[in-house]
Amino acid sequence: MYAKQIFQNAKRSAKDYLIYLVTMTICVALFYSFLSISSRYYQPDIGSAYDVTLLGGGMKLAICLITLCLLFLIRFVNQYMLRRRQKEFAVQAVMGMEQTTLARLFFAETFIMCGISIVCGIAFGVVCSQFITAMLLTSYGAHYRLSCTLFPDTVLWTAGFFVFSFLAVGVGNVRTIRKTKIVDMLAADRKNEPALPKSRWIAVVIILFEICTFWAFLSGIGKARFYYDPRLPLPVKLLIYGNLGFPALTLLCSALWLIGRRKTGAHTLLPALFGFSLLNAFAAANVPALTRKYWIPWGSGTIRQYLVFVLADLLFSICALICLAGNFIAAWKERSPEHRYRNENLFFFGQIISRLNTTAQTMTLICMTFTLAIVLFMTAPVLVNWASGYLDARSMYDVQIFSRYNNVYEEKDLPHTDYPAVTEFLAAHEIETAYDCAFPLYLPERSSFHNRFKYDFPVVAIALRDYNRIREMLGFEPISLSDGEFTTQWQSTATAEERDAFLAGRHALATDAGTLTLAESASYTEPIGQTVYNSYTDVLYILPDNVCEKLLPVMQNRYIKTAETLSYSKALELERCFAAAYPEQSETGVSFSIRLRTLQVNSTKAGNFVLQASMLYAAIVLMVICLTILSLQQLLDAGQYQYRFSVLRKLGVEEARIHKLIWKQLGVWFGLPIVVATAAAAVIVGYFMQTVSVEISAYIGPDALMLQIGATAGILTILLVCYFISTWVLFKNSIAE
Amino acid sequence: MHEILKLEHIQKYYGDRGNITKAIRDISFSVQEGEFVGIMGASGSGKTTLLNCIATIDTVSAGKIGLDGVSVTELKEKDLARFRRENLGFIFQDFNLLDTLTISENIALALAINQTPAAEVEGRVAAIAGTLNITDILNQYPYEVSGGQKQRCACARALVNHPKLILADEPTGALDSHSAQMLLNTLRSINEQFEATILMVTHDAFSASYANRILFLRDGAVFTELRKGGDSRKAFFEKLLDVLTAMGGGPARGC
Repeated sequence: MYAKQIFQNAKRSAKDYLIYLVTMTICVALFYSFLSISSRYYQPDIGSAYDVTLLGGGMKLAICLITLCLLFLIRFVNQYMLRRRQKEFAVQAVMGMEQTTLARLFFAETFIMCGISIVCGIAFGVVCSQFITAMLLTSYGAHYRLSCTLFPDTVLWTAGFFVFSFLAVGVGNVRTIRKTKIVDMLAADRKNEPALPKSRWIAVVIILFEICTFWAFLSGIGKARFYYDPRLPLPVKLLIYGNLGFPALTLLCSALWLIGRRKTGAHTLLPALFGFSLLNAFAAANVPALTRKYWIPWGSGTIRQYLVFVLADLLFSICALICLAGNFIAAWKERSPEHRYRNENLFFFGQIISRLNTTAQTMTLICMTFTLAIVLFMTAPVLVNWASGYLDARSMYDVQIFSRYNNVYEEKDLPHTDYPAVTEFLAAHEIETAYDCAFPLYLPERSSFHNRFKYDFPVVAIALRDYNRIREMLGFEPISLSDGEFTTQWQSTATAEERDAFLAGRHALATDAGTLTLAESASYTEPIGQTVYNSYTDVLYILPDNVCEKLLPVMQNRYIKTAETLSYSKALELERCFAAAYPEQSETGVSFSIRLRTLQVNSTKAGNFVLQASMLYAAIVLMVICLTILSLQQLLDAGQYQYRFSVLRKLGVEEARIHKLIWKQLGVWFGLPIVVATAAAAVIVGYFMQTVSVEISAYIGPDALMLQIGATAGILTILLVCYFISTWVLFKNSIAE
Repeated sequence: MHEILKLEHIQKYYGDRGNITKAIRDISFSVQEGEFVGIMGASGSGKTTLLNCIATIDTVSAGKIGLDGVSVTELKEKDLARFRRENLGFIFQDFNLLDTLTISENIALALAINQTPAAEVEGRVAAIAGTLNITDILNQYPYEVSGGQKQRCACARALVNHPKLILADEPTGALDSHSAQMLLNTLRSINEQFEATILMVTHDAFSASYANRILFLRDGAVFTELRKGGDSRKAFFEKLLDVLTAMGGGPARGC
């Protein structure tokens, strides 16, 4: 009898919570497919140069942590189901059924839905994992072939994780049902959530915001004291004034409110703080752009600090906006009778205001989560391309050996070696080399050997012969210099302005072998790797060979290109062998290092993949959670809505106008969080882009970036449209007579 | 006075060929402008079905319904909603107020739906609220007021568009006796002051005694008709009980 009831209820619930079931199935599928990479049985064909086990641990941890967010969704839906079913439980309890039995029946019913989601999700996940494999193989540059495989350990992980999550929430539900009084259950559907202004959470949010504003105010005072100068350009003055003045006004406004709150009332503070939070965010968001444009000497610490202020201001703005949205609409409605009394607007405003007032907390959380999802979506390609571009700049050679003299204080301790241990290793393992170039880097002036302050490190020089050998190795045309001339080679992160500023004051270069003049071709910017430059410098002098013979060699580099790519195991062995022969900190103070392309590519690609996969996974999961909650909030109250729309029908409103009303209602419901989150995310992403704009132009390029952002925006839009349309169809059906 | 509602041989069947339920067998009657007509009958006698057919919420299987010269049964589906909002006012047993709107907004909604100019809306709401004595509660929400006040709000909403016919379905069904009496007095004064035509369905003899004429339904047909004439309400109530006794049902409430 009970079993029949459980199945009947589960069947009915499945119909009611279709969107939730579909979402859970999608989440299980995503979980399985992303986690399948960490399976012991996962053996993609990516060649001997790569080791896929590097991915496993990172992926497993990242995916499990992100998926914990799903507990929130499961809890939310269960609470909703409980509230809706309480009257039914009360009737069954009055009829004599024990509350423990009721709780167990409900538990069994939800567990059946969980089981369906897990089974369908894993089946769907097997298909989805092919996309992940394709993504992995693409990032390793291998070809993809379709092969559906079920990994038993991943199945166990997936089932275990979700069963545990459902169990945790289910046990909580059982406890709630057992503890609730029958009379409260009977009255459950008559209760509303408390109206927002009365709840305490907004008071807590205001206090946190005031603390952050005080911090921003102190920071503003510091910046004004140390950096303000009447000769500064107006935008910089405004930036300093703004970041001091707006927080000060915010605090002043709060203090005045505190003094006269009995007269003004509690409701006046929030709109004022909302306005100030936007001004604060605007002032703080301009910091990176103006810092870069006007060369303000604020370090990355300040940029990060102001990012925190921007985040705090934006989060508060979201909270305040959602809290006040109902009031804004009500005020607008009051002021404009033409809009208020036009057709069914009264009904529409009533629906929106009532919903906003009762679900403001959830809505705020949804807006914030949406913002996070959009930021993840947008920044994932930037970070991944940055890392990939940086990899290209770092691993230009199969073997890259270099030394540093930062801790060498005697000239006799400087290295004079061609790294014979490496030559022996290559010979012993029959590794043929296509190019092999060992060369020293010189100090133009011996006297600068002891310059060891960060910004005082001398620029080193390379002999023209060695420079041309490197260029040949990389496929660039050789260059030539006349006697008595020098030229320069630049890192890709250096901007044209930086190059011009450097060269403007250096038409002549004093060296121990005489003074040289700048050649007509004053700078070369082809990437030749990062280890050819001295510490903290991004330029290299290229000097004639005969000049270099008279200079002090301080660093010894060796670049090798092998005939065939080094396998992962040989690369690891060479790294170990090199570390034994040339320690990172030798007794003389010389620091030796080796970079092997195989190892670099492996660790970067694995890291990139974990980063990209987990950020995209998190973004999709968060977005799906938000959309599901938005959708369920509308669909689960369909009974209430059916009544309201039936009243409209009885009052003589046509079906077409009712459909238009539904469209408008869902449009506002989905549109509000999306617009708010998109605006907030645009500010955060904009701030982030400003701080890494140098790296973007150096390693990614604006076109590639826009393409990536466009693609992610496309995914976002598709998800949104799918959820919106399915909610619209289900909603329309649920209120139909 | 002219004939505002005319029903000719109305029939309403449910079900398919093998299993037909005749909710209304054959009903014909007419209502004059300014009349207060009650429809009484036991459960299943067809009174709510009849009201739904007149209200255009349900369709008839046969027969003709005319409202002020318009044949309702021949109206197209797309014209029904407009016809309803322009000609009919509804009062329901469960009030049918929207909990998201204040009392004043609930009344104004009926005007707004009927495309009343915005400048007129508030004046008309205030006027009808004054008549029905609900001015004090205009800015409150339905869940903040009593059942009687809700039903008066529903009356105001039904009346504010000056409909040709007010249809009331068990309007006192969810009210206590005091509130019910107040509402019935209100309906009677609406009928007398504004000469509103009211058609009220009830199974309660006391409520029905406020009407000027009562149609008794039994098994989907009009069993008999009772007119108040010059009788007092009390005397009319006594007559009404006699008819009910003759029909085989007892009085639902004392006088």
